[in-house]
Amino acid sequence: MRRWVSKIERALGKRRNLASELDEEIDAHLRFMIEENLERGMAPEEARAAARRQFGNMAVVRERTYESWQFPRFETFLQDLRYALRGMAKAPAFSLLVILTLAVGIGANTAIFSFVNAVLLRPLPYPYADRLEILWSGLGYSGRAPFSSFELFELRRRSTQFDQLAGTWVTNGALPGEGPAEQIKVADVTSNFLPLLCSRVVLGRFFGAEEDVENAPSTIILTHGVWARRFGSDPTIIGRSVRFGRHRSTVIGVLPADFRLIFPDDASVPPNVEVFESIPVGPWQPDGPSFLHVVGRLRNGATLAAALSEMDSAAAQINKLGGRASLGNFTVSVIPLQTDTVREVRPTLLCLFGGVGLVLLIGCANVANLLMARARRRLRETTIRAALGASRGRLARQFLTESLVLGVLGSLAALAVGYAAIHAILAARPPSFVNFDHVPLDARVLGFTFAVALGISALFGLAPVLSIRRIDLTRDLRESCRQSAGSRRPWTAALVSAEVALAFVLLTCTGLLMRTFINILHADPGFRAGNVFTFRVSVPGYAPLHLLQQKLAALPGVQSASAISHLPLDDAGNWYDYYYREGASAAEQTSVMADHRSTLPGYFTAVGATLLEGRDFTDSDDARHQHIAIIDDVLARQLWPGQSSIGQKINLSDSPPGFYQFQRDWAVVVGVVHHVQYHSLTAIVRPQIYVPYPLAPRPSMSFVLRTSGTDSSLAAEVRNTVSAVSKDIPITHVEPMQVLVDRAHSESRFASLLAILLSLIALVLATSGIYAVLSYSVAQRTTEIGIRMAIGAPRAQVLRMILADAFVWIVPGVLAGALLCLAVTPLLAHLLYGVQPTNLANYAAMLLGIIVVSALAAFLPARRAMKIDPLTALRYE
Amino acid sequence: MSTVEHLLDNEKLGLLQGTLEVLILQSLKLEANHAYGISQFLQQQSDHEFLVDNGSLYPALQRLLQRKWIAGQWKTSPNGRRARYYSLTPAGRKELLRATSKWQRFTVAMAKILAPEG
Repeated sequence: MRRWVSKIERALGKRRNLASELDEEIDAHLRFMIEENLERGMAPEEARAAARRQFGNMAVVRERTYESWQFPRFETFLQDLRYALRGMAKAPAFSLLVILTLAVGIGANTAIFSFVNAVLLRPLPYPYADRLEILWSGLGYSGRAPFSSFELFELRRRSTQFDQLAGTWVTNGALPGEGPAEQIKVADVTSNFLPLLCSRVVLGRFFGAEEDVENAPSTIILTHGVWARRFGSDPTIIGRSVRFGRHRSTVIGVLPADFRLIFPDDASVPPNVEVFESIPVGPWQPDGPSFLHVVGRLRNGATLAAALSEMDSAAAQINKLGGRASLGNFTVSVIPLQTDTVREVRPTLLCLFGGVGLVLLIGCANVANLLMARARRRLRETTIRAALGASRGRLARQFLTESLVLGVLGSLAALAVGYAAIHAILAARPPSFVNFDHVPLDARVLGFTFAVALGISALFGLAPVLSIRRIDLTRDLRESCRQSAGSRRPWTAALVSAEVALAFVLLTCTGLLMRTFINILHADPGFRAGNVFTFRVSVPGYAPLHLLQQKLAALPGVQSASAISHLPLDDAGNWYDYYYREGASAAEQTSVMADHRSTLPGYFTAVGATLLEGRDFTDSDDARHQHIAIIDDVLARQLWPGQSSIGQKINLSDSPPGFYQFQRDWAVVVGVVHHVQYHSLTAIVRPQIYVPYPLAPRPSMSFVLRTSGTDSSLAAEVRNTVSAVSKDIPITHVEPMQVLVDRAHSESRFASLLAILLSLIALVLATSGIYAVLSYSVAQRTTEIGIRMAIGAPRAQVLRMILADAFVWIVPGVLAGALLCLAVTPLLAHLLYGVQPTNLANYAAMLLGIIVVSALAAFLPARRAMKIDPLTALRYE
Repeated sequence: MSTVEHLLDNEKLGLLQGTLEVLILQSLKLEANHAYGISQFLQQQSDHEFLVDNGSLYPALQRLLQRKWIAGQWKTSPNGRRARYYSLTPAGRKELLRATSKWQRFTVAMAKILAPEG
């Protein structure tokens, strides 16, 4: 202990005294020796020289004695650190280049890893999140259908593996309370749904047994947001009866501020639900509609496999019960909620993660090359230090310290880049990321960043160390004096080839994603969004809706006005069911599902959809007349392949008595319309069936106005018109239809943009790598080139020689890249549309691109070589 | 002639590093001495078998100082030169006794093994 204390004292304070004392001591030592030499009869000069010789290497004596005062390793480290910082300050351009390369390479990884961490690695913010499962009904061809209340009831009765099975359905509704009418998302939930996903209420209580009976008095639970926004965070809200749409409802609870719904995209359970109301579950309607999205919590200790086999047998039993499920093969799939939620985002994220990984590798190759080039430039210094007695370990430690310093500075800069990138990505994020707005730079992200930075800087550190491993004093001193090179550097060549290969892979993937984006831009959505203006209203019935349609159609600049229950590409809670033709077998009756749309006459004209056959609805198509429907060509082909569907009878569910009072009904098909892309621009998710509004009234409808364009005051006129019809009609989503289309493009735009950005970075890094290495090689070969030219080599030949040098690296790189592409591009298949991963045109274009860009990078130093003046070059030494 | 420095480069660094320190302690047993004097003493006493390298001597002196086995003091030598004289401390004397008996056992054992059989 005391030794340590004295060491620290010496290390910190007394160092200078000790050093001068040592010098004095050595001086005395020498004088003793000189005196003895003089006594032996040497001349003074001779005596002094001999004494110095006898004493030995004074620097080594000092160095070793200093070491005995120090914590040698730590002090050496500090010394190396100082040396490294000094070196960096002396070569600011070099240091900045390395740090920037690391910042971009690692920063991109930090950003994407933050998303991987937030989206894929962190559990959902729900109690027992690892035991939460989502259930899908296998009815319908997507295999991801919701359940009917009857089915949920029967599943619950048979389940032992689940603690809870809860259901929800999200619809549009009115904002509760007094004040201007506003349309919001309302979730109908079973009484156990909220306690399953939320550990507590802020005020009041969750739904309970009293809500679980048919025709219970209406009660609602508010989100924290709506409680604050509409009720001023009134703490006495519980138990109060408030206006809710056209009814009144009692507020029984308020949810915590951090509660949010996180569900798979296709469940139509968006995160912006603001009010919850309870729906009872019971065996009342065996052939009732499917609308409930079901989540369950496994009981403690239950396994997914056990739950699956239990649900299989339950489904088989329910099939025998009668009701709609018995018509087909009712099956149930059980998927962990988290897995299912990130189903859409996962491939995009993983591809991005791969992309930034490639950028980082290219950056690493560049930095390694830079450091190796510098190590070679410092060969003379290194060799001299080795000759003066520096051990290889000491030199290696110093190189390692230098690269660690660069690594640490690089990773700090990378954190800044990553932080900025996260915010940029969040701002540009597509709808599939909408659930993930909280992307923290947590310990795991910081750990990841520093681990990557330190790992790769240790690797870089090794590159120059490897080069000093082979120091041969005599040869290197000679060589470094002569400044000649000509020695092949296999590592450099391999690194440049690798950069070219990786950049080629990134370019090819980017090409595919860009092609996809262009294809999506040009995809026919089945409607024409240009000059179409839309908004959503909650209207109590047909009469005011009809009146509104007439008034809107009369507005100046409006060519046609109509309304539909769901706009294409909208986020409204979807409604779909089974449809079958007359004479369909039992199995056929549950094999075709279609989106159910309620419309006013004139919708197809207004939205720009193509009526292929038959007629549109008219104002006289109502419940009193023949029940009719219009179907799209996809449904027509499924139900009546090879024949006309006009005049055919179709079994559907409609609700002439009122909102959602569904009943099965036969209707005659009067028209066939070209399929409209409702859910995405690229995939046909389900066919559509259109029913006149009087047969299927909905509380919420979207108006579609086709205009002559350019009228910016339309929004105001629309609001005036609506409030002239009734002050109580909430109006939302007032926007041009193009906004919906743009939103649908955003996923692909996002992926392409990021890919383009990554490719550009990769290209810049790879070409600067080629440029730097070739410039260095030209500089090294100046003398050789000068001699060649002096003995008559034409300039063109010099140019060819240097370019050939570059292509020796580039060609293997491109070949390796092409092979890598064959392995990598199929991983993108999920993200592509209208283009094959192995698309030859794309390969060819990117091949040409990388060769041209690399050739340009090589041309600049080659031209410099060509311009070398032989006389100057020969004098260069 | 072997040098302590060469021996120090050997693998048995710990043991042999200790050796030089024991020799220094022994050289100070009778009287205080300066670094040059110590190296002269060791060379003469070993019949010039040991050539003490200053690169080993000075760090060894520092280690002994740090362990408080010797103490250093600036004095004027008989021929009027100022020099740093090292002397044994009581702890150093004790250490010398301990090390000496250890070395004796060690050399006796070595001699037994290496002695020509007869």
